[in-house]
Amino acid sequence: MTAVTDSPLTLRQVEEFLYREARYADEHDYDAWEALWTDDALYWVPAGDATSDPATSMSIIHDNRNRISTRLNQLRTGKRYSQSPPSNLRRILSNIEILGVAGGDTEVGANFVLVESTSRGMETWAGRTTYRLRVVDGEVRLAYKKVLLVNRDQPIRTMAFLI
Amino acid sequence: MSERDSNTGDAHDVTPYAPGAGTVRVDDSGGGIVGNEFAEVGVAVDHSGNGPRLRLEDYRTGRVRNLDALELETIIWLPEERLTQLLDPSTTRWREEPDR
Amino acid sequence: MTTTVPDSARATSRPDYAALIEPSRVHGSLYTDPRVFADELERIWYRSWVFVGHESEVPESGDYVRKSIGPQDIIMTRGRDGDVHLVFNRCAHRGNLVCEDARGNANAFRCPYHGWTYRNTGELLGYPYNKGYGGKGNLDLSLGRVPRVDSYRGFVFASLAEDGPTLAEHLGAAAGEIDRLARLSPEGRIDLGAGWLQHRTRANWKLLAENETDGYHPQFVHSSIFSVTGSPIGPLYSDNSTAVTRDLGNGHSENDLRPEFRRHGETLRWFGTSESRVPNYVARMREAYGEAAEDILVEGAPHVMIFPNLFIAEIQVFVIQPLSVDECVQHSTAVQLGGAEELNSRMVSQSIGSVGPAGMLLADDTEMYERNQRGLEMRQPEWLDIRRGMHREALDEDGYRTGAATDETGIRGFWTHYRRLMEVDT
Repeated sequence: MTAVTDSPLTLRQVEEFLYREARYADEHDYDAWEALWTDDALYWVPAGDATSDPATSMSIIHDNRNRISTRLNQLRTGKRYSQSPPSNLRRILSNIEILGVAGGDTEVGANFVLVESTSRGMETWAGRTTYRLRVVDGEVRLAYKKVLLVNRDQPIRTMAFLI
Repeated sequence: MSERDSNTGDAHDVTPYAPGAGTVRVDDSGGGIVGNEFAEVGVAVDHSGNGPRLRLEDYRTGRVRNLDALELETIIWLPEERLTQLLDPSTTRWREEPDR
Repeated sequence: MTTTVPDSARATSRPDYAALIEPSRVHGSLYTDPRVFADELERIWYRSWVFVGHESEVPESGDYVRKSIGPQDIIMTRGRDGDVHLVFNRCAHRGNLVCEDARGNANAFRCPYHGWTYRNTGELLGYPYNKGYGGKGNLDLSLGRVPRVDSYRGFVFASLAEDGPTLAEHLGAAAGEIDRLARLSPEGRIDLGAGWLQHRTRANWKLLAENETDGYHPQFVHSSIFSVTGSPIGPLYSDNSTAVTRDLGNGHSENDLRPEFRRHGETLRWFGTSESRVPNYVARMREAYGEAAEDILVEGAPHVMIFPNLFIAEIQVFVIQPLSVDECVQHSTAVQLGGAEELNSRMVSQSIGSVGPAGMLLADDTEMYERNQRGLEMRQPEWLDIRRGMHREALDEDGYRTGAATDETGIRGFWTHYRRLMEVDT
């Protein structure tokens, strides 16, 4: 990882991208959200020990680009009952920092608090997200999103929306 | 995917327990920390003397003990019940009699 | 004040299970009445054999993991003797939790409250400042030990009753299903060390247990994922399927999918793959099992619910942990097979996609459990119907009641055993 100043993106550009990604997820805009991802995408929500190898240990989500599509296509059927009707979501991102540059990708860290409302009641989700952003054809794209829930070592409720 | 992870690391997600600089000499012998929720001990082979010895440090109190080869061999041969006796808190640290 | 409740009054305050459980229907209050849950803890969870964990979770001497028996916090340990031990996570002094970490390695546990120290088998090794107890070794105390611990192919079960049926008697025919799973390993070895997802579920535990071998729901609950992936799972659970639902006795049941896989006769179809993708695994299986390998590779893994809390769903294992009458936790992990590396990473990946809080299958099952629990709060029509397929079930050659793929034969088997346990006087 090289110095932060090498990032091709300004903090403001990064923020604008993260807020947009968050809004698409909150509003279940699956097409717009899917279009943010690069082909080598990884969308990862570890469980329990965040250091364990996702190839040999269980994760809550560990989606490559293909599986992101499958997940979204399932949601698009309208019969993914755990999101039909969809949860009402709003999340706040904060503590956004450019952490460095790796292989041309800008690595960004941020904290989030997300409130989910369903007919069962309100649920609060919180955690730390690491993003890797890449500029492709002049557009900022998302190559990697790893979400460390604060309660990943505890039993958690159904999380069928986009975290 | 995992290849990517190992290349770039997730240094921001994990902060391994790091003892103060110079507290323990971690060397090729595989020195490190033996810790669980009950105790945390730094382990290193110390070469500063004329021969090697095992340097043990209780991170919770800073207390250090060095063990030479013969002492280590003795521990290996210690009968189970003797080791068990040593684990009784009032045998060692928490006893009414002052340390001699 | 001492008030003695007469035995007769105490007896009548208990729900009348014979009146609530009929062959073709069960009463809704069984899922919603806290008195029923209290009875279940005493008569099922703290008496019958309950799955706790797998020996592969504590491979080395000194390893420990925190597990559960219903709401009880249990520590599973590997002693210096090499045996697996189960102790309650409660200090004998003042009742503090002795272990806080989910897992670790320790031959001795030291309670953080007053320093009482135990061997990982439960024995009290000592306490600080022993003059307060007149010296050392004066207390006849230990961590609570689970009275009966036994294992089958590494699956560790516990019974909090001093006596009762043996584990072998409890498992009965279900043991053969565990054998089937182990046979998919060229070494005959199952490993459940891939870590557990924990899915909190606002529903009565029995809704989960019943659903595990309910072949009627997949086409509805899971149609969203079947349609997107073109999965061949759906047709296994239809009226055209040759698969059967079997009551294995003692509350255990299975969806036996083998007739469908035998009909196709393709090795590894059950896993949605082919030999060319996992050549080393197939070679090792043929080496280990000879001609029998063909049938093993065609027939695949079991789909069996072992009463009351262990569900082997082909390549995943689930554990149902009840917390209260309307709350439970589903623990799920991927099966890992000794000597089957090519299969193992695929099983982890497929399991992550399918199970847990975001799983493309289990999130929807769980949505149904939770809606079901809310529906059961409605006062009418009071009963749940479990008669599907009663008219067409029959005894198979081994004497087990067997129905069609979508029949509620397994659910009825669950309730037959449940009623037997709940009617016993304590």
